[in-house]
Amino acid sequence: MRFQLNDEQRALQDAVRSYLRDRFGPAQVREVYDNPDTDGVPAALWKAIGEQGWLAVLVPEEHDGIGLGLLDAAVLARAFGAATVPGPWLSTILLGEAIRLAGSDEQKAKLLPGIAAGEVKGAVALLPNGSARGAVATATDGKLSGNLGLVEYAAVADTLVVAAQDGLYLVDPTHATITSSPALDRTVRLSTVVLDGAPGEKLTNSSDAVLAEILDRAAVLVANDLVGIARKALTDTVEYDKTRVQFGKPVGSFQAIKHDLADIHLGITMAEHAALYAAHAQDIDAPDKELAASIAKVKAGDMANESTSAMIQYHGGIGYTWEHDSHFYLKRAKRLEYAFGDASQHRERIASLLLDGEVDGTRAPVSAESSGMASGVA
Amino acid sequence: MDLQFSKEDEEFRSEFRAWLDTNLPQDMRTEDWWRPKSDDEQFQIRRDWEKKKAEAGYCGIQWPTEFGGRGGSPTMKAIYDEEMAKANAPRTVNPLGLAFLGPTVMAIGTDEQKAAIIKPLLHTDVIWCQGFSEPGAGSDLAALQMKAVPQGTDYLINGQKIWTTNAMHGDKIFTLARTSEGAKRHDGISMLLIDMHQPGVEARPLKQITGESEFGEVFFTDALCPQDEVLGGEGNGWMTAMLLLSFERGSSAIGQYTEFRRQWDAVAQIAKQVERDGKKASQDPVLRQQLANSLVDLECLKYHSWHVLTATSQGKDLGYEASMTKMMWSETFRKVSDTYEAILGSAFQVPEYQGLTLEELTTMALWSRSCTIWGGSAQVQRSIVAERVLGLPR
Ligand SMILES: Cc1cc2nc3c(=O)[nH]c(=O)nc-3n(C[C@H](O)[C@H](O)[C@H](O)COP(=O)(O)OP(=O)(O)OC[C@H]3O[C@@H](n4cnc5c(N)ncnc54)[C@H](O)[C@@H]3O)c2cc1C
Repeated sequence: MRFQLNDEQRALQDAVRSYLRDRFGPAQVREVYDNPDTDGVPAALWKAIGEQGWLAVLVPEEHDGIGLGLLDAAVLARAFGAATVPGPWLSTILLGEAIRLAGSDEQKAKLLPGIAAGEVKGAVALLPNGSARGAVATATDGKLSGNLGLVEYAAVADTLVVAAQDGLYLVDPTHATITSSPALDRTVRLSTVVLDGAPGEKLTNSSDAVLAEILDRAAVLVANDLVGIARKALTDTVEYDKTRVQFGKPVGSFQAIKHDLADIHLGITMAEHAALYAAHAQDIDAPDKELAASIAKVKAGDMANESTSAMIQYHGGIGYTWEHDSHFYLKRAKRLEYAFGDASQHRERIASLLLDGEVDGTRAPVSAESSGMASGVA
Repeated sequence: MDLQFSKEDEEFRSEFRAWLDTNLPQDMRTEDWWRPKSDDEQFQIRRDWEKKKAEAGYCGIQWPTEFGGRGGSPTMKAIYDEEMAKANAPRTVNPLGLAFLGPTVMAIGTDEQKAAIIKPLLHTDVIWCQGFSEPGAGSDLAALQMKAVPQGTDYLINGQKIWTTNAMHGDKIFTLARTSEGAKRHDGISMLLIDMHQPGVEARPLKQITGESEFGEVFFTDALCPQDEVLGGEGNGWMTAMLLLSFERGSSAIGQYTEFRRQWDAVAQIAKQVERDGKKASQDPVLRQQLANSLVDLECLKYHSWHVLTATSQGKDLGYEASMTKMMWSETFRKVSDTYEAILGSAFQVPEYQGLTLEELTTMALWSRSCTIWGGSAQVQRSIVAERVLGLPR
């Protein structure tokens, strides 16, 4: 029984954290924030992400990747969340996952090495904005049409993954109409993408099940980003409230604040466990992996929301300024809270997994379960 | 990451499960069997059953064998808790002795105390009460007033304890009394081990919101306690009490998870049967959200218990993080109960509804309200977490 990261995963965590601490702190995030007309991909950061192998984690070794699991990628996602790292890391990872899970051997051999090497930027349109299911485009004879809605990093992407009614397609963004749009969370760059008969390359093994799997993996990575944000927001708030004095005392000594922060700490701890387990559950193909993904997304989304709101509240006026970092966390949390299914959509999914089973969605009631247990007869 | 238990642990599980299969009859696992019996009858049955279990070697799982325990690991204790909950086995009759007194005696008791206390506790020959709370001293335990003055080789004790669990069934009580006037409130307190079967000790039941009387009041009027029946030394009662309360820390909460998850499953089952607005409650979008939300916290509690088990198996002391475990299970339990109440709506008031027997779940919903009070209230735990874990100033 070891519910914790292994030594290699901890080393990875240390490496990414120390890189970000030394090379990509709040000042660098602010650069991206204050220059919304740039592509939102700081060159040195992106180069380092590629060189460190942080885009290669999930690519199999036979395709020049590192072939690790989602838990390893989750370690990165959490660190990136805590540091509000900009750039298309997640969407490129998801491009890789789409090819790995839905691509043919040829497609994998052709495309994965470039992703692992950090030479490719990806963008994904897997769900209609705000929805937890449904295609974003219509494919007819390999030509795709539709308004994909807002897509992160479409403007810099080399390849776009698009969910059409009959499967996943890769689209060259030069065949798309891409109109950039300002984003509240400026650690990202958003565009509206419209396809009008754009040629698409179908990922030959795509199916509803594979798409669902990719979406779960996306939700798990986002959940890890969210717990990174939530924890960082809480830690900074606790530090500030230890030293900010009002009424002759640190404001952190007031019970109204203490108890709220204690609750948030508890909730974040639960979310961290959930995000960790959800990643592991996908890696070991656990029977409850879908449930675990939804649980992680719900708890992480709720807690990031609470923690970043508390951050602003318990900083007072300074927390409401552009100069303070609070809004980086709040806005990133807001964006990701709604990505790949929001908390209520995932709660509904949990309900459907547990309440709408074929014969009897729930487990047996109290007495039936215990009698089944003991006698070995259902 | 490895969520498997070791082979040895799994062997222990099968062995214990097999013992339960033969020694815990099916009917004893159902509420229907217990309901017609009086409080006293129920207690006696539980006491006898627990003794039998102890005699078979399933007691004091993590306690050293020299004291009559099994000398097992934290994971074995977790498995034991899980199997007990899965089997709906009778609750222990000695919860306070097992959680608190036993570990404290093993840590700081004299050899005589170890010999006299531990085995009879494990074998339910002696039922222990915890006499800490008083009418004027609840969360603020140091406000306690009970007095003990030397008289010959005894102490003469006067005062009152309240909310004493098992007051009506207790044989002995570990309690806090003032044996001298100290300069500070925490001084001059001693932990006395008092025989409850004597004229100077009177226990009276208090009826709880469930209608049961698990706790009561204990009045001490010129009660006697030999002066060598002090645990941890005269005047060291406060430190002894703090040590004693710290022993709850190792608990992984896997037993609680197993029990609450079973209740959640039963609640979900009810939601699939009761009608609401012309459809099953389980199809009501708001109730579905609520059911899912309580399940989210429940499953997080399970993950947390793995986290605690990982730490304790590696020999780490969780320290004040234990308050988080208490907060987490007690509040999650409240959420499951709230969900149950919401699903039944006004039918929550009656013991039977549309062919469903509700008594057990309703009792648990009421009971969940006590768990955020005893053992350090939810508010006290929040202060501990804020100050000791997050480091916020006092
Ligand atoms: C079912 C049950 C079984 C029990 N069994 C035992 C037993 O076997 N032995 C025993 O000794 N005791 C037992 N208790 C007593 C229990 O330990 C006390 O009820 C508990 O410590 C709270 O004390 P109180 O009831 O006096 O409430 P109070 O301390 O008066 O609290 C009232 C309210 O004020 C809040 N409060 C108190 N102090 C603070 C603070 N500093 N900051 C913020 N809020 C605060 C509390 O959280 C609570 O909500 C039991 C209680 C229950 C309900």
